[in-house]
Amino acid sequence: MVQSAKPVQPIWCPGCGDFGVLAAVKKAANELKIPPYQLALVGGIGCSGSIHNFLEVNGIHALHGRLLAQAIGVKLANPQLTVVAAGGDGDGYAIGMGHFIHAFKHNVSLVYLVMNNETYGLTKGQASPTSQIGFEGNIEHPFDSILTSLSIPVPNFIARTFSGDPKTMTAILVEALKFTQDHRGFAFIEDLSPCVTYNDTYKLWREKVQDVSKLDGYDPTDRQVMFRLCQETREKGKIPVGVMHRPSDAEKGEIGLEKALLPDDLGPARADLSIDANLASYTKLIRSVT
Amino acid sequence: MSSSVTNIAAHTVASETSPRASRKILSDLSVMIGGQGGDGTLTVSDLLGRYFRKLGLYVYTSRNVLSRIRGGHADASVRASDHPTSSVKPQVDVLLAFDHEAAELGSQELGPEGVIIYDSSIFSTSLPNSYGFPFATLVGGQVGQPIYKNVAAYGAVSVLLGFDESLTRQVIEERFQRRGAEALQKNLKALEIGRQAASGVPEVPQHWSVRPGEAHDQILSIGNQAVALGFVVGGGRFFSGYPITPATEIMEYLQRYLQPFHGVVRQAEDELAAINNVLGAAYAGARAMTSTSGPGLSLMTEGIGQAGAAELPIVIADCQRVGPSTGEPTRHEQSDLAHLAHLGHGEYPRFIVAPGTVLECFEMTVQALNLAEKWRLPVILLLDQALCQNTVTSPPFDISKVRIERGPTLTGEDLAKMAEYKVYKSTETGVSPYALPGTPGVWAEVTGNEHDEWGHVSVAVPNRVAMMQKRMGKMTKAEPDLPKGKFFGPPDAKIGIIGFGSTTGPIWEAQELLSAKHIATRFYQPRTLYPILVSEADAFLKSVDVCYVVEHNFTGQFANLLREAVPWHHAKLKPVLKYDGHSFRSPEIVHAISGGA
Repeated sequence: MVQSAKPVQPIWCPGCGDFGVLAAVKKAANELKIPPYQLALVGGIGCSGSIHNFLEVNGIHALHGRLLAQAIGVKLANPQLTVVAAGGDGDGYAIGMGHFIHAFKHNVSLVYLVMNNETYGLTKGQASPTSQIGFEGNIEHPFDSILTSLSIPVPNFIARTFSGDPKTMTAILVEALKFTQDHRGFAFIEDLSPCVTYNDTYKLWREKVQDVSKLDGYDPTDRQVMFRLCQETREKGKIPVGVMHRPSDAEKGEIGLEKALLPDDLGPARADLSIDANLASYTKLIRSVT
Repeated sequence: MSSSVTNIAAHTVASETSPRASRKILSDLSVMIGGQGGDGTLTVSDLLGRYFRKLGLYVYTSRNVLSRIRGGHADASVRASDHPTSSVKPQVDVLLAFDHEAAELGSQELGPEGVIIYDSSIFSTSLPNSYGFPFATLVGGQVGQPIYKNVAAYGAVSVLLGFDESLTRQVIEERFQRRGAEALQKNLKALEIGRQAASGVPEVPQHWSVRPGEAHDQILSIGNQAVALGFVVGGGRFFSGYPITPATEIMEYLQRYLQPFHGVVRQAEDELAAINNVLGAAYAGARAMTSTSGPGLSLMTEGIGQAGAAELPIVIADCQRVGPSTGEPTRHEQSDLAHLAHLGHGEYPRFIVAPGTVLECFEMTVQALNLAEKWRLPVILLLDQALCQNTVTSPPFDISKVRIERGPTLTGEDLAKMAEYKVYKSTETGVSPYALPGTPGVWAEVTGNEHDEWGHVSVAVPNRVAMMQKRMGKMTKAEPDLPKGKFFGPPDAKIGIIGFGSTTGPIWEAQELLSAKHIATRFYQPRTLYPILVSEADAFLKSVDVCYVVEHNFTGQFANLLREAVPWHHAKLKPVLKYDGHSFRSPEIVHAISGGA
């Protein structure tokens, strides 16, 4: 068999939360039997965004903040690929915030994994959009991606996981991948992934995570309920984790953008471009200009 | 040729011999229509263009509008000629003015025998050769809606120019029939009102006549439409853009054209998303393009750099407008060239190709797509507002000449015979054969980080040097593949002219005017602006004593690129520059060269 690029050793610090995500991606791909050549992993800029280098996968290293825009291009060009975009909280919620919000609206069937460590690790520990007040002199309130995503009325898959609970993370990732493979739209997972060097929150987060599915009235098909549960959990000083939105049966008819735009799963990348194959249609098109 | 056109030709010729035929025959005329945005000036321009087309004339229409939906001065001009033209006629023959400002502004461009027709229900004027008709009042009273005043005015112009009545009507029918029977009837009524009013003033009817031409095999199009068609036929299948004047029509045409071909057209949330969508699609293996103008180009710059570093084939159509910053969105300039030649941080290869006509917009979009994939880098299709948006008669686009050249691509079969797949494999040309993601059995890392042949991030010194040489070497190795320039005028002429993009039209006309003054010129239209094709530019500059470099910017950007590439010709280069937002009129070029001699 032809030799392809071999994974390289991760650049991450020992104990980094991102190792949990790497393991979960491998397990989920194995469980769903996705061969490396069928999986495209679009990495952002930052420690987490280098994840594609550590896997047997089609990897593309996007520009800072632009991984979603590139991942959307990949999926729309070849809807047969399973596409995962993976980056950090600075990449997704600061420089990439515009694309982040629009990704829910575009609803292209791909998984977006944000490894949130509440800091800019690679540039040595500055405050990020999710940093708590007081962290490195931060006086701004942290951004909550789950509350934001619940406010966008599109039947996406939305979840938060914790690197300290790899089993749940893998299960949720499998569900998200299946969701996108069924062309049901955008799947967003924020993983709480501690930075052991600049913001070691393992112990704190282990104490604070609250599995939302254990809460009274948990209903991931109801945004209002989930918004309230997440807010109440936050008010109690806890961090809500679990599946936050899973489209109801009524919304199951909704399809991802690639399905809405394209007649089949051939896509722009595999379309027949030859003049001969298209001559009749081209001639008609050209003759429409008089 | 339709039978009605034949009849008209016969009719026009017959009337020339009639007793009333003291009128002058125009073989090259210009009608300018001005008013407030919303007065319907562009509709009149369109109607006149359609009429002249039916008559077999070459047509060139330009518009001068403001960046607002309604209000503000707007004008359009239609040139009709019995010989090919792709520039604005220097002097206006007929000015149709819907308000005082249009009369004042337009009269400055009016020729000595020019005639003004204006809406006397809005204003009056004492300008010479002016005829006022209360179009808005007449139409308001008889049709019920003053908005049809523009069609009444078209009727008046049709009388002035001795148009055939039934053909004039036919144009209205074709233009308005899809708006429904009621709208069509109202427009026909307005036409009749205008014709009657004009016929009632003895000096107006058949003041002039227009002789039919032979240009029946031509199409009428704009550069932006030609780019969209070239993209589809050239195998373009993924487009993402963001609305911006004067580029938007490319996206709008593609939204109409591309869907049946397994294509995707995206209106992205901003230019950052647009260029990155395109990068993702190119990575996946689609022929991909975006289009934009100055401000959007600035935002896309980082993405274009990634295409250079990661060796992703993309095309960027830049429809230049007045800069810097927001500048003048609806006005013409060619001032992005210097930015594009040195685009982005760091160094990477890129080609800038520039069509000069609507037909070349079609052909060179195909070429740009081929070049991008064959050399795996960003290609900039450099356009300008006049080329993008002015309507012009053009030879039909020829599919039989289109060739799809995809560059080295590896299929599953190819790969089965190979020991390893290195996405950035070192090769003679610097181009690494590419396997589309999804090809069974192989995968790779693609990145804008410096990388080794596998695509793994690397800062190793020998690798860095080799990779820079691999990428930058494409600039010289590709030279034989790049679009060649075109030359016009006698080869032994000692006065040279260089111009690119839409300045080709005014330059051709200036050459004719100079030739009439016995001044021979040779015009070099370079079609690859970056890298400069040194042997081509050198040979041309050697052949002339002096060379006027005609361009729409302040600093002489192309002349500066020439100075960098062929410095030994420095002293011969004479910049002819215009940066007032309007395209060159041929006499301006004539004046720069002959000094009014």
